[in-house]
Amino acid sequence: MLEKLGLRIRILLFFALLAVGAIISVAVASWLVLSRADGGGDLLAPMVQAGILAGFLILFLVTGIWYLFDMNVARAIDGLANAIRTRAHADVQDDLGRDRDRARYLGDLAPAAAEIARSLAQTRSALAESVARETSRLSGEKARLEKLLADVPVAVLLCTADYQLAFYNGQAVTILEAGDAPGLDRNLLDYLREGPVRHAYERLAKLNDPEAASDLICATTSSGRLLSGRMRVLRRTEHTQRPGFVLTLRDVTADLAAHAAREALLAEVFDRVRRPAANLQTVIGVISEDSEMAQAADLTAAMLSEVQGLTTAITELGQRYDAGRNDWRPLTQIRSPDLMDGVRAQFESLGLDLQTDGPELMLTCDGFELALLLRWLGHRLAQAGHARSFRLVLSEEDGPGAVLDLVWQGPSLPVGVFDSWLTEPLDPDTPDLTARAVLNAHATEAWTETRGDNGGAVRLPIPNARRATTRPAPIQREVVYDFELLSKARNAGVLESKLEDLTYVVFDTETTGLTPSSDEIVQIAAVRVVNGRRVKREVFDTLVDPARAIPPSSTAVHGITDDMVKGAPSMTEAGKRFHDFARGAVLVAHNAPFDMEFLRRHEKSMGVRFDHPVLDTVLLSAVVYGQLEQHSLDALTARLGITIPEEARHTAIGDTVATADAFLKLMPMLKSRGLLTFGDVLGEVRRHGRLLKDLN
Amino acid sequence: MEDRAKKVQILVVEDEDNIAIALDYLLTREGYDQTRLATGAGAVDLIRDTKPDLVLLDVMLPEVSGYEICQTVRADPDCAAVRILMMTARGSAMERRKGLAMGADGFISKPFELKELREEVRKILAGESAQTSDSTDA
Repeated sequence: MLEKLGLRIRILLFFALLAVGAIISVAVASWLVLSRADGGGDLLAPMVQAGILAGFLILFLVTGIWYLFDMNVARAIDGLANAIRTRAHADVQDDLGRDRDRARYLGDLAPAAAEIARSLAQTRSALAESVARETSRLSGEKARLEKLLADVPVAVLLCTADYQLAFYNGQAVTILEAGDAPGLDRNLLDYLREGPVRHAYERLAKLNDPEAASDLICATTSSGRLLSGRMRVLRRTEHTQRPGFVLTLRDVTADLAAHAAREALLAEVFDRVRRPAANLQTVIGVISEDSEMAQAADLTAAMLSEVQGLTTAITELGQRYDAGRNDWRPLTQIRSPDLMDGVRAQFESLGLDLQTDGPELMLTCDGFELALLLRWLGHRLAQAGHARSFRLVLSEEDGPGAVLDLVWQGPSLPVGVFDSWLTEPLDPDTPDLTARAVLNAHATEAWTETRGDNGGAVRLPIPNARRATTRPAPIQREVVYDFELLSKARNAGVLESKLEDLTYVVFDTETTGLTPSSDEIVQIAAVRVVNGRRVKREVFDTLVDPARAIPPSSTAVHGITDDMVKGAPSMTEAGKRFHDFARGAVLVAHNAPFDMEFLRRHEKSMGVRFDHPVLDTVLLSAVVYGQLEQHSLDALTARLGITIPEEARHTAIGDTVATADAFLKLMPMLKSRGLLTFGDVLGEVRRHGRLLKDLN
Repeated sequence: MEDRAKKVQILVVEDEDNIAIALDYLLTREGYDQTRLATGAGAVDLIRDTKPDLVLLDVMLPEVSGYEICQTVRADPDCAAVRILMMTARGSAMERRKGLAMGADGFISKPFELKELREEVRKILAGESAQTSDSTDA
């Protein structure tokens, strides 16, 4: 119970108890004296007086001592405790001045508390400063990112798993036809037709692979306008939670118009040259076989050979042009149900009925153009009175292709009429984008067929299609950025550059043995360190064919066998690529002279020079921990609390990442020793250069 | 016997004069009886009237395309015996497919070697005579 009372009350009670105890002692002593003395009656009055006096004196003394104790100890302790608590919880910066005076009788307690308070204040202010710096950097980056996202010509939308909008940029407002703005927390499916978006999300969410992306075409709910999009799910934060996703959308109409104009021109060039060349060859061929021309056989042969050269050239160029079309504008893989859904949306917007049927296939095509083509066809057929209700049937072919049939009940369409339609623009806004241009772009044709007594169909083969699998191809396109690079003086000389301003390439090699002059490299791995952080996406990792057998003793260390390096690039090729990767960077390696000697031995055949500034983490470790410590990579990483997974140890990339992490941890330690620039570090390293040969 | 002794009738539907002249020389030299039509417009009627053994049919024709002529002729049961060899200056696999879907018996791309054309014509005509003899036997 006493613990609940305050310190001062407890002390007061203590002194009160002392006073009461003392008074009782005096009373008991007086009673004893009176009871044992003879003629006690005479003594009674003086004893009572003496007792009362003693009682008052005791009360006075105890009160006085309590008062002094209360003033100088209890209150001081309370005051100090309050002051410490205040400094712990509120941002008070002074060094306990008033409370320190009051606590002068508490020995070293007040100075000790003052030291704690001071240290706390310093830590706080350093923390606040770094938080402020970081906050300002982050808000700067945020502003730049916002600007970038606002300016990118595609709509970027970030949604939750429930399709609620959490972010969108200006393009999204335009593209979704959302009036003023789509509105955060609104549902994406209010703006886009559900099927393709939901399909893409479900497939990606099931994979749980943040690298996977899915291309889709989807139509807006308001006008059925077709958009081309790509979805990527976000990294899942908790296992129970479904991940959100990023959707980028593009209206490709303008691109199509420009592209179609160029395509049309090139196609015309080939067509107009190919015909007369082909005809000329036939004409001369017939002449050369004529017996009357026998006397001028050499002349006709010359003509024939020239014209054959011309036709071969133009025919071959034309074939290359046809084959190359797909590469110039890569056709994407579209799921057939997405395409069908897009076409259905288009038909609905025209007031036409469309049923779809067929297996789920991945079609290599421009889904946007194909949907436009089918929409136009539906419109044209309805306009010409063939039908208003259609079926779109997809069927697989034996080869790699598939066939789309647009079928209707009603008068069939003569192929001649159909062919004449093909030259019409699909949309008045894109005069060069004709149905013929779309067929050409897909290296295909289309024709009409009669189905039964009163039915027709347009048949459109898709040259490339395959069964849909559940796994969309990963698209490695993570954004790599460091905006700090924008604000740095990048042209400072290396020696004067601050350590954190330099770009480093940390690397490691695995070899056939330990003799740089005769052994060969079998693997090179490297990572880049920019602005004091390892850039996770910028990794160099290649096996190298050493053009000689790898001794089993070396294979036992790094696990690389002769079979593994079969077909790998040669040292010349791999070295050149590594040189490119390391351009403009400081090279860092653990025991760098070993690796550098291997590289420099091949400089001549590579045609490059490895004249980069070099840092060796062995020497940096010696600078930081002194020469008496062990500086092996295992010892260094263990000291720095870096763990190399067992399976990664002695692989080039595993050791490289460990070296890079160790280097990043050594960097602030070097700075705390006053080694701020590369020149400072180099000077200090040279003093330790006795350990190893210095490379700079 | 009379039919067999009769010269093989070939109709060339080709709008480009130069190659038409060359084909005239070539086919005549090969011993065929050759007629030429420079436009697609009257081709279907002429085929219905004359029932040639073979039509060498260009795809790109003014007014009526080769595909259309082919589709119309094939839809007419009276012309079932008429063989059609289509010619085109592009000749992609898909064009060939479209031509065969329209009912052509063969498809040849320009530029062609004369040997190639002769063989294609002979092949198609041989197919026709086989068919004729089959139906005669029946």
